[in-house]
Amino acid sequence: MRRAPIAALLLLAAASIVWPMLVDNVFYQRVGALVLLAAISASAWNLIGGYAGQVSIGHAIFFGAGAYSSLLCFTDFGWPPIAGAPVGVAVSLLLAFLIGTPTFRLRGHYFSMATIAAAELVRILVTTIKPLGGGVGLMGPATPRSVADLSFRSPLPYYYIFLGVLAVLLGLTWAMERSRLGYYLRAVSGGERAAQSLGVGVLPTKLAALLLSAAFTAIAGSLYAVMVGFADPNSVLGILVSVKMVIMAALGGAGTLFGPLLGAVILVPLEEWTNDVFGGSGTGITYVIYGAIILLIARFQPGGLLAIWYRRQARRAA
Amino acid sequence: MILAQVVASGLLLGAVYALFSSGLTLIWGMMNVVNFAHGDFVMLAMYVAFFAWTLGHAGPAMSLPLAAIGLFGLGALVYFALIRHVMRGPMLAQILSTFGLALLLRYAAFWAFSANFVTLPGDLVGPTLDIGGLRLQSSRLLAGGVAILLTIGMHLMLTRTMLGSRMLAVAEDRSAATLVGIRPDRMQALAWGLGGASTGIAGALIALFYYISPTVGEALTLIAFVVVCLGGFGSVPGALLAGLLIGVTEALSAYWLGPVYQDVVVYGLFLVVLWVRPQGLLGTA
Amino acid sequence: MVEAPMLAARGVVQAFGRLRAVDGADLDVASGEIVGLIGPNGAGKSTFFNALAGDRIPTAGQICFEGRDITRLRPASHARLGIARTFQVPVTFEDMTVAENVLVGAFLRHPRRVDAARAAAEVLAFTGLDAFARAPARRLGTPGRKRLEIARALATAPRLLLLDEALAGLNPAEVQAAIGLLRRIHARGIALVIVEHIMEVILTLADRAVVFHQGRVIAAGPPREVVEDPGVVAAYLGRSLSRRRAG
Repeated sequence: MRRAPIAALLLLAAASIVWPMLVDNVFYQRVGALVLLAAISASAWNLIGGYAGQVSIGHAIFFGAGAYSSLLCFTDFGWPPIAGAPVGVAVSLLLAFLIGTPTFRLRGHYFSMATIAAAELVRILVTTIKPLGGGVGLMGPATPRSVADLSFRSPLPYYYIFLGVLAVLLGLTWAMERSRLGYYLRAVSGGERAAQSLGVGVLPTKLAALLLSAAFTAIAGSLYAVMVGFADPNSVLGILVSVKMVIMAALGGAGTLFGPLLGAVILVPLEEWTNDVFGGSGTGITYVIYGAIILLIARFQPGGLLAIWYRRQARRAA
Repeated sequence: MILAQVVASGLLLGAVYALFSSGLTLIWGMMNVVNFAHGDFVMLAMYVAFFAWTLGHAGPAMSLPLAAIGLFGLGALVYFALIRHVMRGPMLAQILSTFGLALLLRYAAFWAFSANFVTLPGDLVGPTLDIGGLRLQSSRLLAGGVAILLTIGMHLMLTRTMLGSRMLAVAEDRSAATLVGIRPDRMQALAWGLGGASTGIAGALIALFYYISPTVGEALTLIAFVVVCLGGFGSVPGALLAGLLIGVTEALSAYWLGPVYQDVVVYGLFLVVLWVRPQGLLGTA
Repeated sequence: MVEAPMLAARGVVQAFGRLRAVDGADLDVASGEIVGLIGPNGAGKSTFFNALAGDRIPTAGQICFEGRDITRLRPASHARLGIARTFQVPVTFEDMTVAENVLVGAFLRHPRRVDAARAAAEVLAFTGLDAFARAPARRLGTPGRKRLEIARALATAPRLLLLDEALAGLNPAEVQAAIGLLRRIHARGIALVIVEHIMEVILTLADRAVVFHQGRVIAAGPPREVVEDPGVVAAYLGRSLSRRRAG
């Protein structure tokens, strides 16, 4: 009975490995790489927003920390940008600790509000600090100096790097789901008072999820900086960066393993298409649609698309 | 004295902050729901005031009641169509529902009105007055005065009237309130309506001297959060005190550090308060 | 030689403003004992119970467990030290199955999933819930939920189990089944503190009954003696307690 999901999983893995080579079109390959990058961020958000039930709307702070750390290590020390990823992770862990520790003892709204405030705070600060690029931003290597710079013309290498990172993240998430932390997170979401009576430490449990989430979001930010070669406050620290992570995870299914990937697969190509048709996000129509989607999910199907799918499966089994 | 001027200006704006924030804290206290679209409600009210003037040549005497009624209706509508259904559910649904609404309102306005900001004539209410050496715009004075009166009024309504007791009873213990014949649903819809009205009046007041743009709701929502947390969960007097404090802090930061840093200070203060005194000024530990 | 009690509460006071819900209460629980807390509604027994469970820090007084001062410790620490509790209104994890609910409890003593699953399976069999292992907790009726709460608490391997009206809302047959379960738990050497309104439970199960009235303990001793105590009868407004539900 467990064989069906495993077969489907292997099929999915094989398809994702083979697909870009079959498609042989640079534009589609690039979209594929962007889908995977978005899936990494959304899956990282999912750890705290989906599994722990703590809704962050300021995750851009970690994404931006990753992107900026990578580019700063290049501009200040001449490192290959990817070498700055551990720095980004360290900064994100510190930020996560500072945001989570006071708010996880309080009602859930405090954490959400604090994430928005912290992300905005950092965004404005970075805009004013010249050594961080100010409002103009930072750039990566203009020409690649070695393979370590990870500066490729073709999107294919990026696609496979992102695929590898996503696989690691999802593997870790799967292991976590089945572990004590995974159950403790569900218990805390299910009823903090009851969880405490069973010896679950609410603060350490939530913090563990947030730290993991922040670390992987920072890695996603570094990968973004490596691929795009540029970062500025709006593109990596703006609220819309946070919103995209949330909507992808929520649409696909927050708290499920593949929900965020599903959300990314749907929304990234959709955004590319609407930008073409409606002339870019300058008109705001994209975000009207995002707002409507988020609202509808929240009102009618908080479990996202996968929840609808699982319910169908359960009904068939019954 | 420039400093006194800055402080006075900050107090007046802070009073308006207090007004719409007390609407937020009322909703939060009553049903443990935070309206992430609160600042965007204010934004809508600002546009109501703007169009009242540009289309109908109507000043605050018309735009205030108009915005109040309109946003009262919006608040109640949002409660019935949305909040009532997500209230008892998972936190994700609760938070995303009003956040999605915020995005929708904000970017629909952006699409309709474009990113440019507009303003109402500075002397719409009256000239800039000289009071005891301080030069204050009539619009700010009106806004601050009305805001303080209405915030105090809201507090009195909640604590001294029958209706207010009913609302507080629902906030305290929903099932017990039902037992004594109060209809929680009605009281909660009323809370949302009042919350909406507070944004309506505040928005129509701010529009008199502030810049009006579709994205102004983002910052205003954050200000409302800071005020509500600093004031204390569910406390209207707390919101009044905190609103005035934040208004002054903001004004002084802009004066001493520059306008870019005023938000940095306010948001930073918020995070410090969360670490040091999360229950706020008037909340219980 | 007198053995030190497992749980010792001295002079516990719980005040809410000027209202003293608990006004100086003492309680001793010996290892492996079953103690019943009874009293009219509003007498303070639930508030006292919550202080024992770590829900609220008492305004005054001291609570010691196995020689350690636990007065200011929070519920998670209580569980780690070996005190488990159930809730008056069951708070099972609705989105999890029965087995998963118990698994959460088992993880306290068994960090690895394999060991925790084994411990949880044992508890499920012991409490008779193994037939429902895969059922979502939200599908259970009240008796099932109450039983699940007990199972979940048992999975934390407590030495003291605090039960808050665990038998309220059960029909006579279910009450008998629950009493049977509590007996089996007691046979494992676990001490029980039971808050109950159903007198039959106290009379048949408890080694000692402790009566609360207006925030104080007014009588303590073997249940049969306590229910006939004139002061206790007066506290219940003149009604005889044996064989009848109080309140």
